[in-house]
Amino acid sequence: MGISYTRISALIFLLLFVIYSYLAGEIKVFVFDENADFNARTFPKLISYLGIIVSFLTLVLSRGADEPLGKYEWLKVLVLFVLVFTYGVIIKSIGFFISTNLFLLVSYYYLGLRNYKVLLLCSIPVVAALQFMLHGLLDVYIRDPFLQLLGIIS
Amino acid sequence: MIEGIWIGINTAFSGYNIFMVMIGCFAGTIIGMLPGLGPMSAIALMIPITYGFDPASAMILMAGVYYGAIFGGSTSSILINAPGVAGTVSTSFDGYPMAKRGQAGKALAIAAYSSFAGGTIAAIFLLIAAPQLAKVSLSFQSADYFALMCVGLLSIAAFASKGQFLKAMVMTAFGLALATVGQDSLSDITRFAFGNINLMDGISFVLLVMATFAMSEAFMIIFKKIEINFKASDASIDKLGSIKLSKDEVKEMVPVIGRTSVLGFLVGVLPGAGATIASFLAWGFERSIANVKDKLKFGKGSIKGLTAPETANNAACTGSFVPLLTLGIPGSGTTAVMLGALLSFGVQPGPRLYVEQPEIFWAVIVSMYIGNVVLLILNLPLIPYIARILAIPKNILVPLVLFFSVTGVYLISFNAFDIYFMAIVALISLVLRTLNYPMPPLILGFILGGMIEKNLRRALLINDGSFSFLWERPISLCLFILMILIVLLQIYQGIRKRQTK
Repeated sequence: MGISYTRISALIFLLLFVIYSYLAGEIKVFVFDENADFNARTFPKLISYLGIIVSFLTLVLSRGADEPLGKYEWLKVLVLFVLVFTYGVIIKSIGFFISTNLFLLVSYYYLGLRNYKVLLLCSIPVVAALQFMLHGLLDVYIRDPFLQLLGIIS
Repeated sequence: MIEGIWIGINTAFSGYNIFMVMIGCFAGTIIGMLPGLGPMSAIALMIPITYGFDPASAMILMAGVYYGAIFGGSTSSILINAPGVAGTVSTSFDGYPMAKRGQAGKALAIAAYSSFAGGTIAAIFLLIAAPQLAKVSLSFQSADYFALMCVGLLSIAAFASKGQFLKAMVMTAFGLALATVGQDSLSDITRFAFGNINLMDGISFVLLVMATFAMSEAFMIIFKKIEINFKASDASIDKLGSIKLSKDEVKEMVPVIGRTSVLGFLVGVLPGAGATIASFLAWGFERSIANVKDKLKFGKGSIKGLTAPETANNAACTGSFVPLLTLGIPGSGTTAVMLGALLSFGVQPGPRLYVEQPEIFWAVIVSMYIGNVVLLILNLPLIPYIARILAIPKNILVPLVLFFSVTGVYLISFNAFDIYFMAIVALISLVLRTLNYPMPPLILGFILGGMIEKNLRRALLINDGSFSFLWERPISLCLFILMILIVLLQIYQGIRKRQTK
């Protein structure tokens, strides 16, 4: 039985479902519900049995080599992931307008866009239009300290 | 029923709702055209926008997005041989060769007329079948619902997994497990939240859909270095060619439309099957019944080969609304997202919807006719302009998709935790998709998880904790046998595959 990415993933799922099964048994239920035909533990327990069976079968029965994962653009995806994460960190503190524009500008630039006119046209008007649509037309309030400071929104 | 249809017509034909259909079809076409972004992502992107709408208008918009996305997928299949939607893969078999020999306009017109005919005929079937099934489903009990949902989960794992049944089942179990995070609906006991206040209400389904489809798809474009070779000038009217069809061509299309619309609708009604299987089946079916001369044309730009999948995939889209509207059970990943949206509006689809909220039930059905007309008269002439969207370079497209996904989720909760969680889920789905784990079973498992638990609880309490309800009630028994057959079929196929290898 050779090692493949599929087998590794199946093993991870198997471990996850074993842990899930253990945690399902640890769910605190009411005393009068302890021996009931169905309580808050029952369904998670059944899911864990299903998960353990199918991930075990995947582990044992999977055959053939996977394509190598090294040929893909891991670094670029990880950088984009970090950018999304950072966007989440700053959106509350500096507001929707600036954080979104920053996210778009940095992402475009990182992915190779160097035309500054296009960079600006694909960020500021897009964000402004969306914010106008949400705030002005659909009445969806987005807190934005920057636009509040400029007196654009209340 | 007549009164209900009348209410539906009034609701769907209001100026506001016609505008919703037009916007939905237009937005769906644009999103569906983009590689990888299918109807699920398109509908998920609409959810935060529709929160302020009344449920009927929101559903009409989403239904418009659904068939708009399928139409958009056909356009990219024909023009660049890169289907935006799995349901239009078989469209490229004959659509792309036609485009290569300078008949792109004709191919797009055939696709549009076939989609229109398939969608319209299927909407008539839906009009007839849905109320009948809704009446029958009133006799369904918890045990039957539980069995039916299990059939849905098993069949989506079997049909949508492309031969990876076990992996699809792992994803189903994973989706069900994710559905148990948060408060238990009956006892209010919090499960698997690990003391994190952000998880106490459970995981948002919009977050999960956006992360597993829209965001991970954007990552995938970068990850696999997907290139789209299409220039804005390729979409000019001169290069696309005429969209006029001759009498002989129309004659060739008509019988194919008749056959494949019925086939597509029936496949769409089956839980888990959907537009992808319908379109492949229709293409294969038409090829098998064609005469020797016509058979040779299939795959090289055959009109029949293009008409069949296009009719069937639109008919299947309409058919997939039958289980959603009458049983409250989604038949496909896309209708699962719609179910989630309906639940978030406080609307419970199922047999009672037909009686209690006829304006939603009928308005959605009536709006399908309007949607098909909109696609034909608005989108077809606009194709040379809409197709220019394919020329957007990926270094602009990817950040925009990421931005719309993040905004879509953030606008629901205004909670930054959701953005972090979404990014992590998207990264995990990227890895899982690379290893051929299908995502639709995860979404269906997640959305049906709560309902399965509720119905299983009722069924077990009524039966004193015994699972005998599965073979004691005739409906449950039939569904139980169907489950066994699906599993046996998968085992048989697995064994045959190994022997062939």
